[in-house]
This record gives sequence, structure tokens and C-alpha cells, in this order.
Amino acid sequence: MINNNNTKGSMNKMFSERIFTSTRIPLLVVVVVICIFQMVNPTFLSYQGIVTLVYAMSYFLIVACGLTFVVMMGSFDFSGISIMKLSALICVLYIENFGLWVIPIALLVCAAIGFINGILVAKLSVPSFMATLGISIVVDGIALLTSKGFLHLMNDEGFRSISTTFIAGIPSVFYWSIAIWLLCTGLAVLTPFGRRTYAIGANSRAAALSGINIDRQRILVFTLSGTLAGAAGVFYMSQLGGGSVEIGGQMMIPLFASVVAGGTSLRGGSGGPQNTLLGVIIITWIQSGLRMLGTGLDTQMVVLGIIAIAMSIATTDRNKLMRSIVK
Amino acid sequence: MANEPILDVRNVYKSFGKVYALEDTSLRVYPHEIVGVVGENGAGKTTLMKTLVGVHSPDKGEWYHNGIRVPFPKDPKDAARKGISIVYQERGVVPSLQVYQFLFLGNEEKYIGKFGLQIPKMKNAAKEILDEFHIKCNIEDFMFDLPLSTQKMIEIAKAVLNIRLEQNKENADSVIILDEPTAPLNIEERNELLDEIVRLKKHSSFVFVTHIMQEVIEYMDRVIVLRDGRQVAEYDMATNKVTEKELVRMIVGKDVEEQYQSSRPKNYIEQSGNALSAINLSKNGSYYDVSFNLYKAECLGFWGSAGSGKSELIKTIAGIKGYDDGCLMIQGKKTKNRELPHTRLRKGIGYFSGETVNELFYDWPITKNISILNIEKIVTRFIHLLKFKAEKAMAAGIVEQLRIRTPNTVTAISSLSGGNKQKVTVGKWLERKPDILLLEDPTIGIDVGARDDIYKTILDMKSQGISMILVSDDPKEYSTLCDRIVLMQQGKAERTILKEQLNEVIQA
Repeated sequence: MINNNNTKGSMNKMFSERIFTSTRIPLLVVVVVICIFQMVNPTFLSYQGIVTLVYAMSYFLIVACGLTFVVMMGSFDFSGISIMKLSALICVLYIENFGLWVIPIALLVCAAIGFINGILVAKLSVPSFMATLGISIVVDGIALLTSKGFLHLMNDEGFRSISTTFIAGIPSVFYWSIAIWLLCTGLAVLTPFGRRTYAIGANSRAAALSGINIDRQRILVFTLSGTLAGAAGVFYMSQLGGGSVEIGGQMMIPLFASVVAGGTSLRGGSGGPQNTLLGVIIITWIQSGLRMLGTGLDTQMVVLGIIAIAMSIATTDRNKLMRSIVK
Repeated sequence: MANEPILDVRNVYKSFGKVYALEDTSLRVYPHEIVGVVGENGAGKTTLMKTLVGVHSPDKGEWYHNGIRVPFPKDPKDAARKGISIVYQERGVVPSLQVYQFLFLGNEEKYIGKFGLQIPKMKNAAKEILDEFHIKCNIEDFMFDLPLSTQKMIEIAKAVLNIRLEQNKENADSVIILDEPTAPLNIEERNELLDEIVRLKKHSSFVFVTHIMQEVIEYMDRVIVLRDGRQVAEYDMATNKVTEKELVRMIVGKDVEEQYQSSRPKNYIEQSGNALSAINLSKNGSYYDVSFNLYKAECLGFWGSAGSGKSELIKTIAGIKGYDDGCLMIQGKKTKNRELPHTRLRKGIGYFSGETVNELFYDWPITKNISILNIEKIVTRFIHLLKFKAEKAMAAGIVEQLRIRTPNTVTAISSLSGGNKQKVTVGKWLERKPDILLLEDPTIGIDVGARDDIYKTILDMKSQGISMILVSDDPKEYSTLCDRIVLMQQGKAERTILKEQLNEVIQA
């Protein structure tokens, strides 16, 4: 029935075509963003500029990877930024008591919060939208309680060097985040775990009938998302060297925007961490670019909101949407 | 019927891809009559109905109104303007609404006054309608509180009302299409609804799609039989009283009967041991005290009408639904009630339904759809990475074996035809080879050629030692696939027969 040579050729073609079409728009946007900022601000791509951009995107990429798994599965996770803040606070508050052991402790706490998200969604059937929003508020409250609203400074050199050691001229946090991104991409594309996550997002009933333990998978993915948010918090604190509860305010929408801008549809079942890298670059570089120009927070918010909507319009396959309605 | 037909469509053709769903079909409906439309699943009944209400547009065909040719309706609203409306088999009711709210759903703009909706006026209008249609309920009752037959009646009233409001005429000619309205009802509700519909003939005409032959013979004025998209017979019940046997013969078509012979001697089956057994299994409202044994390499059918509980029973075995009482044993081991499909699958029970929407990932290629069920076979030994080459080879094997018509193995499921979609579903179970395979309407809505291929594959799997349970609406499917058949009626397993006896039972 199938001509073998033919299949292989057309398959390679199809594969490359798919990669191309799914990343074409984000790639284009990245180029446009770089061009515009470079024109307006010649220091954008200077060495100092690049270091700023790398700092801005690295920790963000790690949270975004976690969120991508949740979105792929067709759910929402609004607690990412709150968990990240909590993890950063745990690091700064308890580094004197525990030394570097504070890192696994923070990760464990964050994994536990992600696990609770998962239990709420999978076992108690709370819509993920509501469950994670509620949890994020609870976590914010806990963070406020532990920090008492003060600014805390991190003086531990060992901890700070995790992110700020320069390797080949680039801060080490960049290599960490790229390594985590690669692992997440591998997890999504190369493993049954990733396949199952996509399956639930694409058609949860078919996934259940295909022998996937949906509840367990949901809990695992939310736990993963929590853990990655925790890791992002650790890197954030180590690159920043201090912070209060205020850190990371207003970041939830840019976070979702970067996942969607990369091409992971909020309908679930498509995209993946591989796409999120470009989305994160778009969103964080625009943000940093505006900041370098001295634009106020107000303008930044307006621009980011518009970009978020524009990107989700650009990356949605409307043919597919129409088809699913007609069907 | 001397007067003009109110619905007159001729020579309708409709194809999906390469497959013709309708070929040269005509339908004429006169005032005050009930026209039955019967045929197997996939014979084109639903396609014809959807063409009439503007959901599908036909490839070819003529529509006459008072002898003048007019275009086919563009959408359901346009169809209502032409006097046609449909009551779908399910999903028609909004359970959380009150009766009067539901009646005017979608037509509220007719009752908007200065201060928003004129609720008292709506209620009065609703009361009149309920009286006119002899519906026994209160206008403020919630839909979910009402019995299914009353809900159906309200849906019918809503359809007539829709046409009147659309045409702005109090007594507009209307044709209401009823798509298997009696399917979810039990026998009493069924008769009640049918009596009501006969009484409603003075208000409207009906096109009545059904699988139940008795309804056709007792209640219809005329009946047309569709097979494989063509009209093969038409009977006027007043002048040409047709027997049930004749109808079934026309529906099934004798040329494809008794092609498969693979039944084995009964003794052989019983000696091969138990694969699955149920003892006094009950689920309130669905089935009661059902006991059976499924032997190895046997196919056991559950036969009964739509309210008989057979569908709930097979879903219980699959782990999709729970039960209230009794005991279910797999290979002699008790199962727990709360087990979900993935646990049942680990214990060897696969569930295969013809509703491909629930079985397949439409945006995924064939490869992934087959491998998702067989993921253990294509991972590396220690860290469980996917082997893409093995995945492709697996899919290519299935495509070859089942003769799935596709350009290659990475084609998305959504671009395959219905029959080929179904074959992919069969293919993933063929690769998985569970101990027990549950089949629910395995060939619903597909053409005869693909159906034959699927039957052959299923019988092949059976001969390899896989036990099966079949639930379907198609008598031919039972005689083709099953060894023994359990007759179910209103939730009770009445008796078990050999497949050879099925025809006698159906005709009795």
C-alpha cells in the first residue's frame, strides 16, 4: 500500500514544513523586535544590552516551560509566578539557617504546592482556572506573611554565583535555563510522559479510553509546573540578590503571553516547550527593550497586553477552529 | 393523498470525499401524515435529514415548493422559513431551563418590550402551546424534572413553534423531522409518545427516522427504506401493508447476508474457560441483576432496544460507568467498582466504540493514534524514550494489513474518510490484542466495504483467542460476529440464545 521511499521523503518534507510553519511567525516577530529596538536604541545589542536580555529571559523561560506542559494538557496554571516568589523568599530568608540546602527545600515546597494544584484539579474536579488562581492567592498571602513585606537582601556569595558566574561572557543562569529547556523539550517530544500530556489536551476522553491514567498525569504535570516555578525562583533570587513580595508582580499575563506567542494553543494538545523559547524571547526582550528606553511601567503594560493578544491571533490555526465548530 | 406535497425533494446526491452518502434519493411529504425512514446505520438517513434542514448542502438535487423549483435551505433558520424543522436524537434539551424559557429559546426577540422580556406574555403563549399539544406539565417546571417522553413532546412543540414564528403564521404547514425520537425511551413512554404524535398529525406532518420495525408498521402512513445511500423501497401502509420480515429484508439487503461462517461448536467454547463473568450486576435506572459468563475466544452479544440497559452494561464493564450492586470478575478475579478504563485495560479489557470522536485524536497522524495505545511496545528499555522508527513501522504494518486508504502513515486522522478512521481504531486494538474486547456499535455510520473489512479483522482477532462482547443496533452485526446472544429487555437479561435463533426472536 505504501511506497517506502516515497513515504520517507514526504515525511521529512512534512516534518520540516510543520516545524517551519509553526515557528515561522514567532521567528519573524523576534527579528522584527530586534530590528526595531536596535534602530531606536543602538545599545540594545551591545554586550551590556545582551547581558540584560539574558538575565531577563532566563528565569522566565524556566517558569514558562512548566506552564507550557499545563497548557499543552488543556489546563491553566495561574500560580506559577506566586510559587516563584515564594521559592525566592524561602531562599533569601532561610539561607543563613540551611546554607545551600535551602534550594532543595524550596523546590520541595514548590513541588508540594504544584501537587496540591494537581489534586484539586484531578481528584476534586475544580476547574484548573479556579484552583490555581485560588492557590496563587493563598501562596501570595503566605509569602507576605513570611516576608512581613520587607525587602530582604541576599549576601551569600556561593548562592549568588549559581546565576552570576560568567562563562564565555554570558551569565551562567543562561546555561542553566537552556539546559532545563532542553530537558523539558525532550520530555515533551521524546517520552511517553509528553505524549500522554498532549493526548489529554487533544482529546481527554480518547486519552482515557487509550489507557492513560488521566488523574495521575494531571497531578504529575501540575507538580512539574510547580517545581519548575520553584527552580525559577531560586535562579531569580540568585541573580537579583534580594527582593520582597513585590517582585514579579504583573508577570502572570506576560508569562501566558510568552507560552501562547510561542505557539502553544490554550485549547491544548499542541505546541510544547520547544516553541516556548521563541515566545519567551519575544515577550521578555520587548519588556527589557522598553525598559532600556526608559519607558514607564504603564506603557510597558499596554504594549505587552496588545502583543499578547496579537500573538495569540497570529498563532491560532483558524481553519482548524472552524472545522471543529462545523463538525 | 390528492393534495399538494408540502415537502418535495427529488434526486438528491451528497458525497463526503469519495463516498456517496446519498445517491438519487427523493422524499415527498403530504399534509397530515407520518413518513417513516428506515435503514441501517450509515444508510444515509441522517445525511438526508441534515440536507433537509440545511446543515449539509447537497451535491445535486431538486427542491419543489408548490410545483416551483426553489433552492435548498442554507441553514436551519432558512429551513424553518420553508416549514422544516428537526428534533435531534439527543442534545436538544437545555435541562436547566424552565419549560416556557426553553420553548422560546432562540426566539426571545419576539417578546421584547420596553422593559426587557415580557415574561407574563411568554408564559401565556407557552400555556396555549402546551394546551394545544396536550402536554401534561407546568410551564414553570424545569426541563430536567420532566420524563423523557414529555421532554420530547416539548421539543416537538418547540420545533412547530419555531416554524410558526419564523413564517409569522398561526397555522403554517410544517414538517417536523424526528431523528430516532423513541430511542432513549422505554416501552410505555415509547407508546405514549407515538400516540401523541399520531394525534398531532392535524397540526403538522412528520418524518420519522427509526430502527424499530414495530413503530413503522403500527404508526406510519408511509415508509421509505434507504440502503447505502439509495432509496430501495417505498410502501404506502394504507394500500400496501408490508410485513416486518419484508422490511428487514429490504433494509439489510439479502445479497450481503450470511457471508461469514466462523461459529464453533458450543461445547468447544464452554470448555475453554471463563474470561469474564458477572453475578447479579445492577445499576439503578439502567439494568438489574444481570449475570453472564463470557468464555474465552467467544463473542457474546447483548441484544435489546435502546432503553434495555445494554449500552450502560458494556460501559460498566469498560470502567466508564460504575455499578450499584453485584460483582464483576475478570479471569476469575473480582474487580473493584471504582476502577477507571486505564485500570480495566491493564487487566485486559479494551473498549472499542464506533464513535471515532471518542476514540481517535483527529489532529494527530495515524502513527500516534496507533502508538498511544501501544506505547510500551515502542519505548527504549531503561529510560523509556520513544522509538520513532518502531512507531512508524507499527503504523505502516496496520495500514497495510487493514488496507487503510491513506497517502502515508503521517496523514492526520481528520482527513481520512469515516470508514478509514474506523479502521485506524480497529488497527490500534489489533496491535494491542487485549484479552477481552468490548465492541459498541463498531461499524456505526460507515460504508459496506469498510464494514466487511472491519468484520473480517474482528473475526480474525476472535480466532486468535480474544473474547468479545458486542452491543449494537444492527441485527446483522450480531449474526455476523456473535456466538451467543443475551436478550435484554428493560434492564433485565431475559435469556441467552444461540446466534442462529436471533432472527426468530426479532420476528416474533
